[in-house]
Amino acid sequence: MLDSNTRKKASDKLRKIVGSEYITMHETDRILNAHDAWPLSEAKIRAGEMLPLADFVVFPGSAEEISKVLVVANELKIPVTPVGGGAGTCGGTLPIYGGIQLDLKRLNKIGEIDHDSMLIRAQAGVVGIDLEEEVNRHGYTTGHTPTSLRASNIGGFIATRSGGSMSSLYGKIEDLTLGLQVVLPNGSIVETKAVPRHSVGPDLRQLFIGSEGTLGVITEATLRLFPKPEKRRFRSFSFPDVHSGIEAIRKIFRVGIIPSVARLYDPEDAALTFSMNFEFDEGHCMLLLAFDGATERVDLDDNESTRICIEEGGTNQGEGPSKRWWEHRYDMYYPTRLTTAGYAIGDTIDIVATYDKLENVYHSMKKDMEAEDAVVMSHFSHMYQNGGSIYMIFFTSQPDAETAWNTYKRIWDAGIAACHREGGTMSHQHGVGLSRSSYTEDELGSGFGVLKKIKDALDPNGIMNPGKLGLGVRG
Amino acid sequence: MTEQGKIAEQVRMCAACPKMCRHVCPTFFAWRSDAPTPHGRALLLHQEITGLRNIDERGVEVLYQCLECSHCLTWCKPEIDIASLVENKRCDLVKSGRQPSGVNRLANFVKETHNPFGEKHSKRNDWLKTGSLNGPKIIYFSGCTAAYREKSIAQDTISILEYLGYSVAITPDEWCCGSPLFRTGDTATGLKQASHNVEVLNDINAEEIIVTCPGCYRALTKDYPENGFELDKPVQHISEFLNRLVDKLPQGDTNGSVTFHDPCHLGRHSGVYDAPRAVIERISGNPIVEMERNRENAMCCGNGAGLRTLFPEHAKMIGSERVRQALNINANCIVTSCPFCKEMLEAQSERRVAVFDLPEFVMQGIESRNVKTD
Repeated sequence: MLDSNTRKKASDKLRKIVGSEYITMHETDRILNAHDAWPLSEAKIRAGEMLPLADFVVFPGSAEEISKVLVVANELKIPVTPVGGGAGTCGGTLPIYGGIQLDLKRLNKIGEIDHDSMLIRAQAGVVGIDLEEEVNRHGYTTGHTPTSLRASNIGGFIATRSGGSMSSLYGKIEDLTLGLQVVLPNGSIVETKAVPRHSVGPDLRQLFIGSEGTLGVITEATLRLFPKPEKRRFRSFSFPDVHSGIEAIRKIFRVGIIPSVARLYDPEDAALTFSMNFEFDEGHCMLLLAFDGATERVDLDDNESTRICIEEGGTNQGEGPSKRWWEHRYDMYYPTRLTTAGYAIGDTIDIVATYDKLENVYHSMKKDMEAEDAVVMSHFSHMYQNGGSIYMIFFTSQPDAETAWNTYKRIWDAGIAACHREGGTMSHQHGVGLSRSSYTEDELGSGFGVLKKIKDALDPNGIMNPGKLGLGVRG
Repeated sequence: MTEQGKIAEQVRMCAACPKMCRHVCPTFFAWRSDAPTPHGRALLLHQEITGLRNIDERGVEVLYQCLECSHCLTWCKPEIDIASLVENKRCDLVKSGRQPSGVNRLANFVKETHNPFGEKHSKRNDWLKTGSLNGPKIIYFSGCTAAYREKSIAQDTISILEYLGYSVAITPDEWCCGSPLFRTGDTATGLKQASHNVEVLNDINAEEIIVTCPGCYRALTKDYPENGFELDKPVQHISEFLNRLVDKLPQGDTNGSVTFHDPCHLGRHSGVYDAPRAVIERISGNPIVEMERNRENAMCCGNGAGLRTLFPEHAKMIGSERVRQALNINANCIVTSCPFCKEMLEAQSERRVAVFDLPEFVMQGIESRNVKTD
């Protein structure tokens, strides 16, 4: 928290920039705007604990106002935590050192669609579902449909390097973002041009995608659009084990088929997710596939994928499980009585690895996390030509808060250690935030020093989202 | 589990939800802050229940930055009715005298003048003209908005009922139904209205009671009986009544696209969706062109639960957005079935689209047929 003198100075200056209506110091506002969707935040809220609070919540209306806010923050050396939808799952927007919570929800304008180039420009505070519905009206999709779509914002997608459930075909947000507007910590407003490819030095746009507010504030983006697919077909296969399911996926991609959805549920997750509605052998895995595109192309991809799956020992389960998952994909995101009771807490470690390491990462993480009192169930969630992501989902319920939070941390430590030991990367799409911050140096290895030098150059006073991404951790 | 335990459980789930309904919350739209949202309200209640923190003055304000439209409930898998929880809390706040002063003003107007506008009670319906004394007798309970602000709704309703062969009774002793008080937490004053209205309405010999305001409809059909005040004749919303007699209404043949705005109290709170649509389609002769958000998923107009009284600019922003949604589908005309909604939508339409309440729309249909017939 700031000392009263700094708070007063900052308050006067910030009010002049954004207007009194758009800055609040009320404790109630600071509490209600503090929390994201990090399971630990949610569990602590349920347990009646207070989350860290900012000194101010500021709602700027333009990049120019943000620029001025950052100049003031730099001058007074005040921490700034940018917030989009507040839907992140890693604590990335918790203002752990107080200061300014810079809430971007007022930046909610959607520009005109460029039909020739299939692009749209949108401000950082546009809610994902609002953008998707707007482009749907014109026959397009953004191709970016994470489960948090109703709550997360464009700026948050980009800041966390997020991925939608159809990223196999459409790509993650780093593939979907062509241009960016970013306000740097010194207040300068930087634009990266929206072009499909370029050869003018390193891609600066990629420097800010995934920077989680530690290098600047993303204010606008130019995003790719795709015509809504003529056909989306669902297909499901059960497999006797994880290995045969992964082999099927690998071979589907290898022959050049790119499904929009490729998700393999391990026996525990398959039983929990599908056994209430579908008949399949006990202990089997479930592979969900979807194919988007012109009907003829979808027919070909479906037939060839079916041939591969059967060759790998799969049993055709029709469209049922896959279609049901698609239609109910948001359901798992809702709280339930049991998962919110007492000191229950669950989370997902969304690791990513290449095919040669993927199964080892899965087995090692599962074993080590279970050794720490976790119930673990998993699905291979976002698959590509060279490997993919695993949702290592865990759950634990403990008798008191202290034991619960310690157990939660031990499960994380064990899971990440196993992931790194087996050559995996600790996040595919959720980002680092606070939950993974302390592991960042291990993850990036020699690359961490480069990231730190970039941080020091752009943000010498360390005002931007300190404590996240392994950067700016204060004593 | 006790009732308090159930409430604590629901509030706990909502407070820590990853915001699955926020995208449809009209007050989130208007404020672009996480404070006036379902989970924001729940978090306030949760922290109070767990003893972590009492609701302060700003917290009270947040609890009144809610339209109680229940749109969030449509999107809530655990079916947590945050509007009811907010309303219950408002009752506690009023009992302890901690409600915003605007709510007091509203309640005082109702106490003194029997309407929330502070208008003279003697002027409530002395201007309404009734004609035929033949036919089955029904009572028209106009409600305050149609009586004082949207007079053509009240007069057209009487004309339509008489056109359909009814003798319409109106009473100068009609008071505010109490809806604005129930919704803002002043149950005691609301029930005084209920007690009076039940006595007056039960004293009139008639077949049924017709209301045009869904706020009145909900009050008379739900709030009154839930609190032990029973009317001795059925209460019908005008949309249901007209739908019952839809064959007697003129079959229209109009140009232009007509959309329907579902009032929250009629739709989500009372489950009436089809009746107004059937009546409109009869009069217009064309299928309704639906807005993207319709029926259970319809956006509130912004004019409910005291929001416009306390935060008029934000209420208007919500109304403007609903008008924009109608313009998005190229509607020429918005019909609603609520004087409150009509008032807000018309004010925010800036003449880009015509706005009618159902009786006004039906009356136009009747008049145009009469012109042709004559």
